[in-house]
Amino acid sequence: MSTILSLNNISKRYGIVQALDGVSFDIPSGSVYGILGPNGSGKTTMLGIVTDVLKADAGSFTLMGQTPSAAQRRKIGTLLETPNFYHYLSAYKNLQIVANIKQTSEQDIPRVLELAGLTARQHSAFKTYSLGMKQRLAIAAAMLGDPEVLILDEPANGLDPVGIAEVRNLIRQLAQSGKTIIMASHLLDEVEKVCTHVAILRKGKLLGSGPVNAVLSRDNFIEIGGPDNQALSQLIKQHPAFVQVLPAQDGILQVTFRETIDPASLNSWCAQQGVWLNHLQMSRKSLETAFLELTNN
Amino acid sequence: MMQIIKIEWLKVKNYRSFWVFIGLGLLAMLAPNFVIHDIFVKNIPKEAQQLLGQSMYDFPLVWQTIASVNSYTSGIFSLLVITLVCNEFNYKTHRQNVIDGWERRDFVLSKLFWVVALALLAFLTSLIAVFIFGGVYGKAPFSMEGSRFLFYYLLQVLVSLSMALLTGMLVKRTGLAIILFLGYIMFIEQILVSIVKRFFGNVGGLFPLQAGDELLPFPIVEKLVKFSGPYDSVVYLTALIVYIALFIWLVFQRMLRTDL
Repeated sequence: MSTILSLNNISKRYGIVQALDGVSFDIPSGSVYGILGPNGSGKTTMLGIVTDVLKADAGSFTLMGQTPSAAQRRKIGTLLETPNFYHYLSAYKNLQIVANIKQTSEQDIPRVLELAGLTARQHSAFKTYSLGMKQRLAIAAAMLGDPEVLILDEPANGLDPVGIAEVRNLIRQLAQSGKTIIMASHLLDEVEKVCTHVAILRKGKLLGSGPVNAVLSRDNFIEIGGPDNQALSQLIKQHPAFVQVLPAQDGILQVTFRETIDPASLNSWCAQQGVWLNHLQMSRKSLETAFLELTNN
Repeated sequence: MMQIIKIEWLKVKNYRSFWVFIGLGLLAMLAPNFVIHDIFVKNIPKEAQQLLGQSMYDFPLVWQTIASVNSYTSGIFSLLVITLVCNEFNYKTHRQNVIDGWERRDFVLSKLFWVVALALLAFLTSLIAVFIFGGVYGKAPFSMEGSRFLFYYLLQVLVSLSMALLTGMLVKRTGLAIILFLGYIMFIEQILVSIVKRFFGNVGGLFPLQAGDELLPFPIVEKLVKFSGPYDSVVYLTALIVYIALFIWLVFQRMLRTDL
């Protein structure tokens, strides 16, 4: 699998703020790569450096295995921060400018406008658009020329729930067609549903990068409940594979084991100890929990 | 470069302010000449005309007259350059252009195109004005003598437009950039020129716009007071070229090295 983007020791400082501190990682071709991190963690700064609107203080990067240049950027569809368009021009005319800069055919404009649901308003001036429509136009601009690589910085910004679902579906479809998508987001739900890989940033430092499950370890746990949860809590600690027990909502216990536990055997083990379970469910730690654990440490 | 020009055309062709600026700029180059022609040529008593000698709008003096008058009014094009540059910063489209696949250099070239295009437009309009006033209203036969003044004028417009380009790139906000630019051309430079001339002598005439003014004295005033500079024209011409090169170099330095 070839590498689309390779960052090597990138650092960037704004006055006293170290926005990025020696960040290195590779983005493989065909992956949906989530760049995660709290606000101000350096996500947009990193993407700004990759798109040449910001200059790194140190370090280097390659795009598609080559020294970065405008020619490579023309092959990447990018939505960075806010949608930036000429306010006095219509959506169509703005996309004409983008198509000409990308040196791609203007004939693709109707397709991307349709994709973004803006066909009916394509001749209205950008300044008359709502926030959601502006974001849709930015997504349309990124899709222009059907690029193999997309950089999307908070793509769901300003969209209503329907719009968010549409963008998520669009990203899924694009990923299925083999495109590489680099997506910065703080909406973990969004990332959990579409990303294959993640890089986690906190205060400019890279906490980890790679396949989602390798970076954010999300051990399976089992939710159990019985007539007397206090007694059950004492009992479960005696299980040979027991690691920890935490109280969950509604008096349910959340139990983590050293190894994968078969629910049937656990049920049987409890029954043998004289406790009959009335709740038993396999669960997985949410990405949000795993992310918070990682970024708070 | 043709691709860049096409993109710039797409940006302005439906931009109403652009056309208002162009219209006003052209009007500001032609209208004052009609007014001055009316006052100093058409309605002037015959005795006064004899005292002044040849009419200002007769060849070859018409070259100098038009160049001198227009050097005061072509600032409108500089305001247009500031507006076009600052629009990009206001809309953050300077970033988007680079993100979408322009080199930063292409962005600078796209604005340099306007500097050159507007300077040529001002030059050609002035040239047409020379033919109209000298040919239609003038009484003397056509002569190329004095046509150098129109080239001095072209250089002065280039200085003014490249200074506007630099101001826009540094200040980024339209209103503030226009106020600073107007302040500079209307009185700040005049104050600096006076101070430097008083304390350091003729070198004060080498400020960017003053150097052009020294080359373009108004024909009649020139006869009444010593107006043109004490240095040889080559010195002022060199100064103008150095300023154009310096301003453009600073613009490149700014745009190629800093965060957008």
